[in-house]
Amino acid sequence: MTFLIPLIIVLPLFVGLGIFLAGKKGNALVATAVGTAALVLLMSLLLVGQVYTAGVPEAASGATIQPRLAYAPDWLQVRLPVFVGGHQVRWQLEFGADGIGALLVLLTGIVGLVTMSLATIQIKERLPQYLALMLISQSMLLGVFLSMDLLSFYLFFEAVLLPLVLLISGWGNREEAISASRKFLLYTLVGSVPMVLGLIGLALLSATPERASSVSFETLSSLARETQLAAISSASSDSATAIGALASKEQWIVWLLLLGFGIKLAILPLHTWLPTTYSVAHPNTTALIASVVAKLGVFGIIRIVVPLTPIALSTYAQMLFGGLGALAIVYGALVALSQTDLRKVLAYSSLSHVGFITLGLMSMNTEGLTGAAIQMFNHGIITCGMFLMLAMVEQRRGRLSLAEQDRGLAAVYPRLGVMMVFFTLAGAGLPGLNGFVGEVLAMTGMLRVSGLFTGIAVLGTVLGAWYGLRIVQRLLFGSDGVSHSKVSVGGTGDIQVNEFLPLVGLAVVCLFLGLRPQDTIHLIEKDIARIANVSEPSAKAIHPEMDGLVAQIKP
Amino acid sequence: MDTLETLKSSLALMAPAITLILGGSVVMAASLVLKPGNARDVHGQRTGMAIASLAILVLAAMLELWRTMPSELGQGLFRFDQTALGSERLALLGGLILILMSWSTAPKANLGEYYGCLLIIIGAIPVVGASNDLVSLFLGLELISIPTYIMLGISKGDNAGSEATIKYFLLSAFASGFFLLGISYLYGFAGSTNLQVIQSSYASGGRLIAFAVVLVMCGLAFRITAVPFHFYAPDVFEGTSLTLAGIMSYLPKVAGFVALIRVLGTGLGAEAIAIVAPVLFVCSALTMLVGNFMASAQSSLRRLLAYSSVAHTGYLLLALTALLHQNAEPNVLFSYLAAYAAMTLGFFACLGEIEAAGGKTQLVGDLSGMFYRRPAASIGMTVCLISLIGLPLTAGFWAKFLVFMGTVAAGTKDPWSIAMAVLMAFNAVVAAGYYWRVLGKLFEKSDAYVPLRVFRPSLFMAYTICVVLTLVWFFVPAVM
Repeated sequence: MTFLIPLIIVLPLFVGLGIFLAGKKGNALVATAVGTAALVLLMSLLLVGQVYTAGVPEAASGATIQPRLAYAPDWLQVRLPVFVGGHQVRWQLEFGADGIGALLVLLTGIVGLVTMSLATIQIKERLPQYLALMLISQSMLLGVFLSMDLLSFYLFFEAVLLPLVLLISGWGNREEAISASRKFLLYTLVGSVPMVLGLIGLALLSATPERASSVSFETLSSLARETQLAAISSASSDSATAIGALASKEQWIVWLLLLGFGIKLAILPLHTWLPTTYSVAHPNTTALIASVVAKLGVFGIIRIVVPLTPIALSTYAQMLFGGLGALAIVYGALVALSQTDLRKVLAYSSLSHVGFITLGLMSMNTEGLTGAAIQMFNHGIITCGMFLMLAMVEQRRGRLSLAEQDRGLAAVYPRLGVMMVFFTLAGAGLPGLNGFVGEVLAMTGMLRVSGLFTGIAVLGTVLGAWYGLRIVQRLLFGSDGVSHSKVSVGGTGDIQVNEFLPLVGLAVVCLFLGLRPQDTIHLIEKDIARIANVSEPSAKAIHPEMDGLVAQIKP
Repeated sequence: MDTLETLKSSLALMAPAITLILGGSVVMAASLVLKPGNARDVHGQRTGMAIASLAILVLAAMLELWRTMPSELGQGLFRFDQTALGSERLALLGGLILILMSWSTAPKANLGEYYGCLLIIIGAIPVVGASNDLVSLFLGLELISIPTYIMLGISKGDNAGSEATIKYFLLSAFASGFFLLGISYLYGFAGSTNLQVIQSSYASGGRLIAFAVVLVMCGLAFRITAVPFHFYAPDVFEGTSLTLAGIMSYLPKVAGFVALIRVLGTGLGAEAIAIVAPVLFVCSALTMLVGNFMASAQSSLRRLLAYSSVAHTGYLLLALTALLHQNAEPNVLFSYLAAYAAMTLGFFACLGEIEAAGGKTQLVGDLSGMFYRRPAASIGMTVCLISLIGLPLTAGFWAKFLVFMGTVAAGTKDPWSIAMAVLMAFNAVVAAGYYWRVLGKLFEKSDAYVPLRVFRPSLFMAYTICVVLTLVWFFVPAVM
């Protein structure tokens, strides 16, 4: 069923464009749009099922990244008038799904359906166009997760910007929307335009006089595996120089890639676009951005930086980014604690949670990478739920703050209250819910690298519970709200079935993943193991002191 | 072979260019017999002239398709390689859009001169592109310059127009001087005006060749508006009509780059590259930086577009260094120029339509809320601006991508190349900032909801072609 891959990318794109072209007639197409989103979810479930059951191909190449479901027809070939090492550049574009990609495809499917079905209730103006843009961004996101080569990865990575910027500027907060979308665009471009040089560099490094350059992840990762492991295992006296030479050769590539992915990831000093965007865009849009788009950076690191340039990564940036991730956990939590605007609270909490993912990535070992991959999915689901509930509160109250008059909402909106408590607890990492699994694994992974960073992260989890419960306490159960809330309800009561069901769906996913994480782990473990096979020795070669803490504990 | 013989055999191959130049002369002569004074039918003459020019252009394009290329590229005055073909197509493409744009904007009093000059400029570009000799190269370049003076002079009768014309004329003459000095050195060194002979002597050349090439580059830098020869651009763009600004931003640039490719060739020796490449780097870096930062600071839309055109020259100069290192084909430059034609001329055509409908387009602020006043043109501008930024789904993406590719590939021989690519990447972001400023203005809610209803089919067609090309070329990475 390889046609699933092109179909899942193309279908939402064409439906979205169709609705756009329909113009005023598009009003009749709202149901079509939501139906398409449902179809995409169905297809993503099928895709995950196929990847889950597909036997892992025993590749002779020993490539780190191997699609279990591939789609690479010959016509997807790009010939460019550029010559490298005497060869004309001729790149084959490939699409395919491995476990990590499939997991994120599922996330995109779930979040897409939920946000779009709730958008029909919450978006009042130009609804068909809104849904069309959501579908187009969904298609681009799926394209990123399903590409198996650098070029199509970058194309989709960059193309997703456009519908998002339109979503932010067209349906955001009136006064600030244009400037916020500009900030989002420029910030992302500052990262992604130089990043393309890194990607080109990676592709061109693979060219030798005998072999033409390639962009295929499979080819590149098997080459990378060879060169990296060869450098590490070369005779002990040469090893250091070989590693140093390799690292300095790839240094500029790694920095450019990390700049691009770091900005998408909102790593600490590069994060300032995130609170503005999250608080200006419509909460429904923010749900998509926070849960899926913010994962593009993580996905890029786990797909490109860790498998293809592990030595340079651990030489220059592992400790730096690990430290920044740990710092982000605490910083995000502290800022979230001090905010009264609910959107900002969630924006900073998102920053804090992404810190855990960074921590997991930068541990570069099996536990950490598994944690990061799972946390990508879990955080996506939880944040999506949180922002959607925020949208519901805002729709009813006209504003979003923890100020006096908005307290005690649980008395008026009991169902909303229940869901909010649930998602807050999931976000805080309560065992039994999904947030716990990823964070624990990420911290376990980091513990092998640095006890200090893990310690900071643990501190962050405490703060995370604090600001989460603060929202619950004030917004839902604050004592002096009951009388006010009856005044300004504005005609709408507690959430209705059509609002309740999507949230329940998300909650079921949370519960399922929290209770049975092994299914998710099984989906990704082979892929993670192959990546860790390269990245772990690399990290160990650069930081021999790794695992020191573990050695101290174990007698 | 005798020069005259080769000239004869190449005449058939030069048919498109000859058609355009002869046709231009005929159109210009026609203005002598057109009825002068108030009694004349301006509208009819406008339509007639535009249709006649289009017919000449179509004839040239057909001749290009019918012509059978010889297996031998030619050694004499003209050489029919990729560069010649690419420049011919670029000229025809630009010509089509520019004639459509001129249809309703050409100056009423001097229609014959205007279209005549335009056709001659379009026809001169293939002459430059096919030149294999310094003489024909210079002839082609002057065939572009002289009609340009006339067009600038007749386009607007006011002071700003005259100022722009004089500025352009003097600087252009100055630049031609540089160019002549450069090619005299080349001739002196190689003992021949044939470019192939000259290029084969590059390898043994060294510093003298490098000096001559740098002089030639100075001469051409004026045409492509490279820093420090860019000062006229903002004044000229501001002082002339929109269509002419479109012409000035495209045709001389194509000619200049084609001439640079012709002179530099790919045969520079390592010693000469070691001198020429840094000059190109510095020139490209300055051009990008000045172009982008000055454009960010502008509130006048015309000046912004002028500086943006300067910035694009900077990117193209960088692509030229990849050519020197033989990491890229001239196609990289041609694809860029084709995308540039679609997006820039498309933008000018949209502005032209707004102006024809009675809107103002001098300042960026004049575009405020234009989406609600003139939706079709605003959507056209949006596509062009997105392409100018270089985002995917538009031709502008591949244009920049190919330059990046070439430059990074050249980085294997010259590490500075990669640093330049990074500089260009950051410049592209700065550029995105001011393009987005214009884009944001289009969709700004404003009080002036006066819809602009006058419809100009020719301008509409011009920008529709541009927008469609911009979108379609995304699926064809190397268009030329």
